[in-house]
Amino acid sequence: MADRKWVMVVDADRCSGCEACVVACQAENNLPINEEPSFLQHRAFEWIHIERYWEGEFPNVKARFLPLMCQQCGNAPCEPVCPVYATYHNNEGLNVQVYNRCVGTRYCANNCPYQVRFFNWFEAVWPETLKNHLNPDVTVRSRGIMEKCTFCVQRIHRKSRLAKKEGRDLRDGEVSPSCVQACPTDALVFGDVTNKDSKVAKLVEDKRNFHLLEHLGTEPNVIYLKKVDPNARDASGH
Amino acid sequence: MQLSRREFLKLAGVSAAGAALFTACSIPEKELLVQSPARIPEDVLDGDESWYASVCRQCPAGCGIIVRVMEGRAKKIEGNPDYPVNRGKLCARGLAGVQALYHPDRIKGPMRRTGARGSGQWQQITWDQALNDLVGRLKQLRGSAADTVVLAHEPLRGPMSLLVDRFTRTYGSERLAYEPMDQAALRAALKTAFGEDVVPEFDIQNASYVMSFGADFLETWLSPVRYNRHYGEFRQGANRKRGTLVHVEPRFSLEAANADQWVPVRPGTEGVLALSMAYVLMSDGSADARAAASITAGAGARALASFSPERVESVIGVPAARIQELAREFASHQPSIAIGGGSAAAHTNGYTNMLAVYSLNYLVGNVGKRGGVLLNPASPLKDVPATSGATPFSAWQKLVERLRTGQPKPVNLLLVHGANPLYGLPAEVNAGDALGKAQYIVSFSSFMDETTAQADLILPDHTYLESWGGDVPEPGPGHQVVGLQQPVVKALYDTRAFGDVLLTVAEEIGPDMAKALPWRNVREMVRDSVRELHQARRGSVTAAEFEVFWNKALQQGGWWDSNARSSASPTAPIFSKPPALPRYAGSAPEYPYHLVIFPSLSMTDGRGAHLPWLQALPDPISTVVWRTWVEINSKVAKQMGLVEGDIVRVEAPNGKSIEAPVYPHPGVSPEVIGIPAGQGHSSYTNYAAGRGANPLSIIAPLTDAETGGLAWGATRVRVSATGRRMPIPKFEGGAVEARQLPGAPVAPVTRG
Repeated sequence: MADRKWVMVVDADRCSGCEACVVACQAENNLPINEEPSFLQHRAFEWIHIERYWEGEFPNVKARFLPLMCQQCGNAPCEPVCPVYATYHNNEGLNVQVYNRCVGTRYCANNCPYQVRFFNWFEAVWPETLKNHLNPDVTVRSRGIMEKCTFCVQRIHRKSRLAKKEGRDLRDGEVSPSCVQACPTDALVFGDVTNKDSKVAKLVEDKRNFHLLEHLGTEPNVIYLKKVDPNARDASGH
Repeated sequence: MQLSRREFLKLAGVSAAGAALFTACSIPEKELLVQSPARIPEDVLDGDESWYASVCRQCPAGCGIIVRVMEGRAKKIEGNPDYPVNRGKLCARGLAGVQALYHPDRIKGPMRRTGARGSGQWQQITWDQALNDLVGRLKQLRGSAADTVVLAHEPLRGPMSLLVDRFTRTYGSERLAYEPMDQAALRAALKTAFGEDVVPEFDIQNASYVMSFGADFLETWLSPVRYNRHYGEFRQGANRKRGTLVHVEPRFSLEAANADQWVPVRPGTEGVLALSMAYVLMSDGSADARAAASITAGAGARALASFSPERVESVIGVPAARIQELAREFASHQPSIAIGGGSAAAHTNGYTNMLAVYSLNYLVGNVGKRGGVLLNPASPLKDVPATSGATPFSAWQKLVERLRTGQPKPVNLLLVHGANPLYGLPAEVNAGDALGKAQYIVSFSSFMDETTAQADLILPDHTYLESWGGDVPEPGPGHQVVGLQQPVVKALYDTRAFGDVLLTVAEEIGPDMAKALPWRNVREMVRDSVRELHQARRGSVTAAEFEVFWNKALQQGGWWDSNARSSASPTAPIFSKPPALPRYAGSAPEYPYHLVIFPSLSMTDGRGAHLPWLQALPDPISTVVWRTWVEINSKVAKQMGLVEGDIVRVEAPNGKSIEAPVYPHPGVSPEVIGIPAGQGHSSYTNYAAGRGANPLSIIAPLTDAETGGLAWGATRVRVSATGRRMPIPKFEGGAVEARQLPGAPVAPVTRG
């Protein structure tokens, strides 16, 4: 149990930018509805979003997509700055946010180089009827606390309990965060990297692999695989 | 002795003393049996979840879904892992389906108009009153040669298509299917090119080279989840070389962004490029000889001499050398597929454009081959069509005229289901005025869309998560599939399924109607229609008893047979007419830009605009949310002195105009203005009404010469600044770029 290490592999060459992951995440994790003003104030909640990068100008123009979520850093800059231990590292490699410890200093967001932590400036409100689809496995976060991608920890726990009850280990592919499950191109793959037969264990060895902002030494548990561009002048294909 | 609560309970549960104690307090015995084990953590309590398989109705693709239901409430929609169309995957629109079910602005029961038409004054009535009204009118109008009833609906297929067809045919009414971004030209061309009614399967995952002419197959085109699955494999599937994608389109779309090569052609000349490639293939001898002979009726490359790269390069805006290179790559990277659609089919020459594009598949011999175009088999159900298809725009024009003038034949009763023509038809057609003059309009919509707001009577339908239904997906995955749709929750409000209403009404109207539609409800009809699958004893579900078969099929989300494939071997279509050049509305000097409308990734042609998750979903290229934006090439915008957020007026030659803020776009061609469809609703719930602009409203009603489909890509526009500004809500720009300190050590990108 304690030996697991959850890893997500993001293959940028498979990602088409279709954004299924974005809604899949919001549906699973009770994210507040992003009304127009929250975008204008840059306070929209997207635990996973697609970054789009422009390269060049018409007609030799490219747009690159990169899904970005909490990188679940092995050496997480958000953790040591939290004065109340609301964010800590668990024994499965996850960077965990404990909502009822958080007092909202926002130090963690300040220190996150990937800018994937979100602060609840307002109470999340839904029209009465839309509350029906809220996921009972996931806390609705109150105003004044910090939140972020959890790798859908509630799904990991649900399946782990099931496996335990049935007296077996988790199977590879049995646990998927909501984004991974929806991703139509299989650009997102999730699994326990300590299981040598798992899909992710093979994918992390791909020669296209890299970490975002690797020079910061954050040791993320999200591993990206480079986009392949046969027309790029750069011989590395990046 | 100190005892914690847990230890106490543990002891109490097992010891005789405890038993006696509990008996004394008269706690029922069964509670002792469900006592928690000693070591379970306090916070663990898994709620019971049920999963129901059904079919997604958020777009016409018809993916299989499974819905997570807890305590009678639908919590989450996911892809059905077994369903052959989407294999466990789903798109943003499909995932947002629960918001349609629990939408705060649903129509909660039947209503009758009390104020003036369109005034929004309604009176709640009972279903008995509503049905009496409808049946009374239908009875009265029936059989009168002078009177007509028209049923306007979304494109239908599967059992619902059968039901509506029998109803209208037996009653003697007309029916029209509506889709705002008309695909009539594409469907007709596919039918001619492959000789079949059903759309074929494009085996992208096994192809080496895909050339897409305007088809937004990663966004909204035909079966986007399926094509996205294919695309992932096409790029990085195991045991294959990475596939090459070429996208031909004047606008820089998501497909252009993903393509290895983007070819921005002049709008409407996609077919000319395809023919020019065909000419190159035929003249250098790399084309399949039989197909070449068939296409040119034996004349060979000579017949296409006027399409040689040198002759067409200035017409289409692609250098001759590049055309030759594309043709050679298309022939040498085998297997290759050419697909086309979207704005390339939405021109006055849309049909011939598409025919030219799809003919390329024959020239490289990839029809019916792995990694090429695979034909789909016919529907496994007798009488149940596997194909839908909308009525072309020209027929809608005629209907609007009839509503307005009553000539040549009046429309006495207009029934509207799942269609919103008032939003989608160009303003020049003036459908609003015509609907205002209509005698009586009955809407079956779950939401107060523009057309429903003009209705006299509303009989709200269930949402798809509350209804029974069936589907024969189009395009299918290359083999026979039947999907089953079942209610995953009890109906929330006083609504009734459209199909059930039709069946009730049929029974009331007369014995011939009751005989033609012998079912009590849609569930029974769907059950009946799949009986032949049970009898066929093949495919994914077989059982001796029909009841077992039915339950298994419902549990799986349907029935499919991966061996039931098409055996047809079509021959290449003849170009009987030389493909024409496109005709545009508006002259170049006065109206310098082509208006390229594209279906929004999240809201498509507007049907998703009522869901907050979709409104808040960033466009993948511009990242804009909640609003309409105008894509203008960054350099052109600079020359015009426009910056992001400047509101411009986009005016068509017919004088119709819309206003929206500018998004300077480094990718779009300088001759093109790109505007997404989907916004600009005057009604359709609080999330959609009154935001953004609807570009479909300003286009000229030009049609495709062959099919009468709306040429929604053929309007030229001019752009002028209004002097006003607004901030554009968008996702990009939220994060401040982290600065890297000069001289800071940079670790190598590969892991050691």
